[in-house]
Amino acid sequence: MIEVSDLVKHYRASSGGIVRAVDGVSFTVNPGEMVGLLGANGAGKTTTLRMLATLLAPTSGTARVGGCDVATDPVGARRRLGYVSATTGVPDRLSAREILHSFGALHGLRGEALEARVDRLIDVLDLGKCADRPAGRLSSGQRQRVSVGRALVHDPPSLVLDEPTNALDVLGARDLLAFLADIRSSGRAILLSSHRLHEIENRCDRFVVIHGGRVVAKGTREAFVGEAGGLEEAFFAAIAGARAE
Amino acid sequence: MAVACFQIDRLLTPPRLALAAIGVAFPTAVLLAATKAQGGALNTDLGAILLYALVPEAVCMLGLLVTMCPVVADELERGTWVHIAVRPGGRRALLLGTWLAAVLWTGAVALLGLLLAVFAEVIEHGLILLGPFSMLVCLSCIGRAALFSLPAVIIPKRALVASVGVALVVEYLAGLIPAVVNQLTVSLRLRTLLVRFMDWRQNMPIELQLLVDDRPSWAQVGAVLILAVVFLAVAVAILEWRQFPPSEES
Repeated sequence: MIEVSDLVKHYRASSGGIVRAVDGVSFTVNPGEMVGLLGANGAGKTTTLRMLATLLAPTSGTARVGGCDVATDPVGARRRLGYVSATTGVPDRLSAREILHSFGALHGLRGEALEARVDRLIDVLDLGKCADRPAGRLSSGQRQRVSVGRALVHDPPSLVLDEPTNALDVLGARDLLAFLADIRSSGRAILLSSHRLHEIENRCDRFVVIHGGRVVAKGTREAFVGEAGGLEEAFFAAIAGARAE
Repeated sequence: MAVACFQIDRLLTPPRLALAAIGVAFPTAVLLAATKAQGGALNTDLGAILLYALVPEAVCMLGLLVTMCPVVADELERGTWVHIAVRPGGRRALLLGTWLAAVLWTGAVALLGLLLAVFAEVIEHGLILLGPFSMLVCLSCIGRAALFSLPAVIIPKRALVASVGVALVVEYLAGLIPAVVNQLTVSLRLRTLLVRFMDWRQNMPIELQLLVDDRPSWAQVGAVLILAVVFLAVAVAILEWRQFPPSEES
């Protein structure tokens, strides 16, 4: 489970002023649920996700991953979280198998348990034919699947994905989202951000829209999309409402 | 260990291997030039001074600058930092693994350079220098790789420039000031060990004796190891605490 309550992140700008990147964001992601975090560029999505991933410390408020506070128990939060960033960051010279091995080892997996876990991920992510090829020679879709595998290698109950379909073509994006929907059914709490609203419209259970660092709309798919007729329309309406205020 | 193997694998590229080959050949080339100027093999004392300046100082320093300084900057540029930083112990493993890789890589280059210089017979009785200088190389790599880890985690994107500054100001300038501050430098320990190995102290002018430490060799070795542990512990603590906003990546 992911719980975010009144989360705030302020930066000191080079001009000396304060930038309110995230300004009192609250939402939850329950086990077995996939939530879409929506917002324009600079809305505060990535900063929110990075606070959940313990990469940035909140200025105030709380964020919990699997019950562990990211500020007071970052190691506990890291053990319970898989994080996929917008850039795959897959080392070119290592194979998918080596990457999964290395990151599994960083999570303390060893021996047969690690081997079994890597083999299982290669199987479910359909990486069998290219598992031993250097990652530099993989397609964008295959690299993104390696990146997702890396986030899942320690079998975390919560998963945070920052624009995971960015570098993928239509087929790659559909396969990845179908895979995420699959693993959601095993009880994982999944939070993902995306600009490609049509891709996630029918995949997410709930949506949270942030604008200017604040939550301006949130609700279940039926409630949020139903009234506007489509996710894009609902998103634009929420942003327009926030701007009008 | 996994990170160290990964970092060494990253160093096994043609440009880096060519750089290493230059590092191996450089001391012998300079010593050969010196022998030509002298008209024969260098006497042991002069050879030891030159070899010290070339191997434990120049080769080790340059090798460590290249291998240790980009520890965080490289990961930020490649977009791999976030994936390492979100693992429990990932940041510590990155720093210590890179430190180990830097020590092994630079140490190997420096030791090969030392072997080549000794077996090229450019220094009279050069073989007697092999053991003590191997130790100086190891200590130089261990201590200075740890020292350079500090600028690498404090200002990753300017780590190389900052490390050169640290080398000049701390290691060479502060290291030559006979005061408490030089006790915290690796160069004082290496210089003292060199003087002890070569048995130069009795014949040194009193002013120069101020540039070396009075304590025994084992204390110098222990001091380098303690300094390395302290530098690495501080660097790990800083790295655990550091935050990089998305704008600082790439």
